[in-house]
Amino acid sequence: MTHDELNQRVSAARAEVEARGETFYPGASRVHLASFPPKERWDDWVELDSKAWPERVEKRYMLVPTTCFNCESACGLLAYVDRDTLQVRKFEGNPEHPGSRGRNCAKGPATINQITDPDRILHPLKRAGRRGEGKWERVSWDEALDDIAGRIRTAMNEDRHDQVMYHVGRPGEDGYTTRMLAAWGVDGHNSHTNVCSSGARAGYHWWMGMDRPSPDHANAAVIVLVSSHLETGHYFNPHAQRIVEGKKNGAKLIVLDTRLSNTATHADHWLSPYPGSEPAIFLAVASWMLQEGRYDREYVRRWWNWGEYMEAVHGEPEASFDRFEEVLKGTYEGYTFEFAAAESGLDADELRVVAETIASAGTRLATHNWRSAGSGNLGGWQVARTLTFLNALLGALATEGGTFPNSWNRFSPRPPRLPHQHPKRWNEVLWPREYPLSLMEMSYLMPHLMRDQDAFVDVYFTRVYNPVWTNPDGFSWVEMLSDAKRIGLHVAMTPTWNETAYFADYVLPMGHSSERHDIVSYEQYDGQWVGFRQPVLRTARTRMGETLTDTRQANPGEVWEENEFWIELTWRIDPDGSLGIREFFESVERPGEKMTVEEYYRWIFENSVPGLPEAAAAEGISPLEYMRRYGAFEVERKVGRVHERPVPDAELEDVRVDEDGRVYSRAPVPPSPKAPGGTKIDPDVEGRRRVGVRVDGEIVRGWPTPSGKLEFWSRTVAEWGWPELAIPTYVKSHIHPEKLESDQMPLISTFRVPVQIHTRSANAKWLDEIAHTNPLWIHPADAARVGVARTGDLVRVEGEIGYFVLKAWITEGIRPGVVACSHHMGRWKPEGQPGQRLGMMTVALGQEGSQWSLRPTEHGGPFESPDPDTMRVWWTDVGVHQNLTHAVHPDPVSGMHCWHQAVRVRPAEPDDQPGDVSVDVARARATYQDWLAMARSADEHSPDGTRRPYWMLRPVRPEREAYRLPERRTPVGV
Amino acid sequence: MSDPVTPPEAGELLRALAHLAEPPGPAHPTLAEALGLPAPPDAATHTDLFGFQLYPYASVYLGSEGMIGGEAEERISGFWRAVGREVPPEPDHLASLMGLYAALGEEEAELAAEPGAEARVTLVARSRRALLEEHLAPWVFAFLERIEELGGTFHARWAEMLRGCLLHELARGGAIASRPVHLEVAPPLPDPRDEGAAPFMTALLAPVRSGVILTRADLARIARALELGLRAGERRYALKHLMGQAAPDVLAALAEEAERQADLHAARSAPIGAPASFLEARARGTAELLRTLAGAARASELAESDGTAGETTPATLESRGS
Repeated sequence: MTHDELNQRVSAARAEVEARGETFYPGASRVHLASFPPKERWDDWVELDSKAWPERVEKRYMLVPTTCFNCESACGLLAYVDRDTLQVRKFEGNPEHPGSRGRNCAKGPATINQITDPDRILHPLKRAGRRGEGKWERVSWDEALDDIAGRIRTAMNEDRHDQVMYHVGRPGEDGYTTRMLAAWGVDGHNSHTNVCSSGARAGYHWWMGMDRPSPDHANAAVIVLVSSHLETGHYFNPHAQRIVEGKKNGAKLIVLDTRLSNTATHADHWLSPYPGSEPAIFLAVASWMLQEGRYDREYVRRWWNWGEYMEAVHGEPEASFDRFEEVLKGTYEGYTFEFAAAESGLDADELRVVAETIASAGTRLATHNWRSAGSGNLGGWQVARTLTFLNALLGALATEGGTFPNSWNRFSPRPPRLPHQHPKRWNEVLWPREYPLSLMEMSYLMPHLMRDQDAFVDVYFTRVYNPVWTNPDGFSWVEMLSDAKRIGLHVAMTPTWNETAYFADYVLPMGHSSERHDIVSYEQYDGQWVGFRQPVLRTARTRMGETLTDTRQANPGEVWEENEFWIELTWRIDPDGSLGIREFFESVERPGEKMTVEEYYRWIFENSVPGLPEAAAAEGISPLEYMRRYGAFEVERKVGRVHERPVPDAELEDVRVDEDGRVYSRAPVPPSPKAPGGTKIDPDVEGRRRVGVRVDGEIVRGWPTPSGKLEFWSRTVAEWGWPELAIPTYVKSHIHPEKLESDQMPLISTFRVPVQIHTRSANAKWLDEIAHTNPLWIHPADAARVGVARTGDLVRVEGEIGYFVLKAWITEGIRPGVVACSHHMGRWKPEGQPGQRLGMMTVALGQEGSQWSLRPTEHGGPFESPDPDTMRVWWTDVGVHQNLTHAVHPDPVSGMHCWHQAVRVRPAEPDDQPGDVSVDVARARATYQDWLAMARSADEHSPDGTRRPYWMLRPVRPEREAYRLPERRTPVGV
Repeated sequence: MSDPVTPPEAGELLRALAHLAEPPGPAHPTLAEALGLPAPPDAATHTDLFGFQLYPYASVYLGSEGMIGGEAEERISGFWRAVGREVPPEPDHLASLMGLYAALGEEEAELAAEPGAEARVTLVARSRRALLEEHLAPWVFAFLERIEELGGTFHARWAEMLRGCLLHELARGGAIASRPVHLEVAPPLPDPRDEGAAPFMTALLAPVRSGVILTRADLARIARALELGLRAGERRYALKHLMGQAAPDVLAALAEEAERQADLHAARSAPIGAPASFLEARARGTAELLRTLAGAARASELAESDGTAGETTPATLESRGS
């Protein structure tokens, strides 16, 4: 037989196998992931039972994919469902998932701990005593639903829509709930983002009109990370594996982190700057690139809004690009390496080497800031703004190996119904006029703003969120949640006990990642994918012939999922449809009947995910069955430079191009499979919508910013009160050395270890065993100076409103003069409350006037439960809840809480115990007022009489009329 | 075997053959049937051949240490990077290299269909040729012939087919004119009388230095022929103990094997070119040194029996050099 014939025979064999939807080459272990079961065997996979060794006992599994919910990465999981017992036995990675590609961090497999946690909440509970007393009674879902729905219906009937609030931590889903709130007409979406990522988002948003970066790490020549947190937490796994690929391909890794983080240990250049000096470093690099001509002139000329800047700031509407370059170089010439070295404490020569490295990347510069410095400092949003400055100089945006905006690297499919109304009333508690540019809700100021505005929230949902523990100034939250004059009904939707749920009226058990439906998509490489989370036992039992109509039928106890809960609640709020909100969850196929999750996802997969119906048809299954079988689908790869794409002729109708090159058209918006979202650019005065920009005579898509260009200068920032910060610049942090007393040090709390999440992993025994405490990182020189002799000694850390006590960890892995404590430990339950015993201490809460205390009465340790492993818990130290001692620090521009603290460290007092906390909430209130004084209110600075720039992102967007500023509010209770 | 095969069609066959070097899996029977090969053997047979006799890693045959990894593997990793590919966990495994070869062929074919991509087509074509000349040809033909000698029916047929396929690929550019630099820089076999037994043993088991692929099966065959005891263990350990029992005879048997493999290299020099000639020279040099050492060892034994101790011999070095 000839080679040609042999080739053809193999091709034919492959075609035949693949036509059956099976894998021809399962993949070599050294090239692919041979250790994963081939997908065609997922329905009936046989493994030997490891516990039966040395006997060879076969176990039969059905492998059902779902999506991890233990951080925001949404990695693929494969649940191994025992076909005999119909229990999930373990979780592994899903090799079919385009983002995680079968690889998971420890948190994914630890899902098995969470679903089998002996202390998890299995039934709806209602408060029986006073709030926070710890008395609960089991109630039915019907009782809880009717009570909550009735209360919301009354609020709506009385036009009190703004008294319904949904406070969310990890969304873990793609817009389901925000659309529902819009359909309810409720401006009550309250996210955690301003304690998390707003600082970074703001910096990106004011450059690109999109608020997250999507670095193409794997193809980069140089990777710059200002984040320990990203690569050890957020998108940790999908990004980390691509960073490693990039490094293997020769990329240089530059990490800025005051601590020697996991990421920093892999760096070619680890820079440990004084916290808050990061923008000074980037500006020095940018300045050097400008002075040396090491930037892409043509890109800057084409894509920056330099003309607008020259006209508005320098009064030169006819300025040439050469003139702009001259101004630009002059503007930044003071940012020398020596200046940056003085601010950061680093060596100027090292910074020069880093600058050379960055400039050498060309368009293959992948950069990323998420929390970290962006969320620690006053002016932290300038970290992302100055970092993106480097990409914008090199033209390394939306290029292979460069940094993409998130929206181009994710895919949110259009659901069967969209809300056709917007909330009529503006929620002043969440979007106070003092912070008109706040990127997201001022969620962590809620106790203070409620007091200032004498506000009342009738129904307050907390969902996968724990503000008492997560937010700064937690005792002010305890006071607010305990006050019936502020909170009418608090509904905690959570799979596990948390510090906030103790102060709830209802605790409603919601499922973990294998017990619920959601759609997710995140920016993790230059591509777009959709992931599917599903209740795996429901899917498995359906596949085995059962008919299940409600996820509770498959979940443990009465644990539910939110999708079905919200549908049911909406129908009970509006049983006859008279409020006009029930229709949002009405069946498309059976008008007048309730939408089911089955129909909801079937519709989306059949209509809104390009390529999926064809892929499913090729295997002879429906799109929904495809997603139930494989858990994810890649919609597009190599998206590339969207801003350079020509606008199709079909979108160009009665076109008008304004003097700044912005192109407006009367052509209607073409149909899109994507859910609507993003910035809202105003039409021109004649009502044409903006479709792109004209660049060098060509009409291209441009950027979703007001100018359609990359906004080096932000008219928005300038006109809304902050002209001095409208271009990338350096703001001295609130913990800048000039602002500290001689015995104070900055405390960094914006990090965690990679195996824990914020508040939902304490019930994962494997994760707890790996990491269960949060000592104070302190350099040997500082330890000697403050009198801490050895690792393990107790220290007191005193901040502006109180102190906490913990063990010291003396390490050279932190910059001298700075201390650090990770934020994911110190979980507690008050005495007398139920709750989980893993990873939590029992505490006595004390209050005398404004003085609060928290003292452990029982530390962690072994306990009896149905799980014998709980008797094997060998650790007792579960850390300290430091956030209680942090006052709120709202950045006056971005609204981000500036986490870094100025503290004094000294040896503990003789009576101190690890975990002790003491706080004066009156001082917390005073600190809030000090920071509030820095804000520039829309009342004084709005250029157009509105509360907030309309174009800016907002999760739930009220009616345009609601943006108008009302009469000036008279503060109360100040 | 016949007419030239143009990429990417050749890729399918190469991938299929490469995959059969992997541990037996569900695709193996289908592939074997498509290729007209006998039924694949069980996992134990596969492990014995590729895990104990002939390791399918280029670094074993091209590295001065004769072991997996090291500088030779790093050099191949560099090649992966140079052609813009992600370096897999085992970049020098036969299946990885064949996969890369097939992928480059496919890339070349795709580019050939693109107008104005002539320069890139040439670049990829040259990369593919470089992969064949530098990282495959210097070892894979000798390796596959040894598989044909030592493997069972399935693996012998598989190796023959893969060898034919690769020879066919090689023929498209003609025999290799010059030796890859990494062969040049590999040090030759040292004389144990100058440098001791341990470096000699290491070099003898490193094919790029000795020109000889010595397997466990070869040592077992020599032990059987000489009626010596074979100690179970790694090859170096087994060889050391064979030497301890009858150094002159073992050295002579090894010389004979080196000479045999030199002849095989010589037979390959026409289609393969410079690398085969290089290895032939190394194998002949090894054979000559081994014969010399065998003679010296015999003389030494005679001298000892006469009571007149001679110069240092490998047998005495065995205890010194370990």
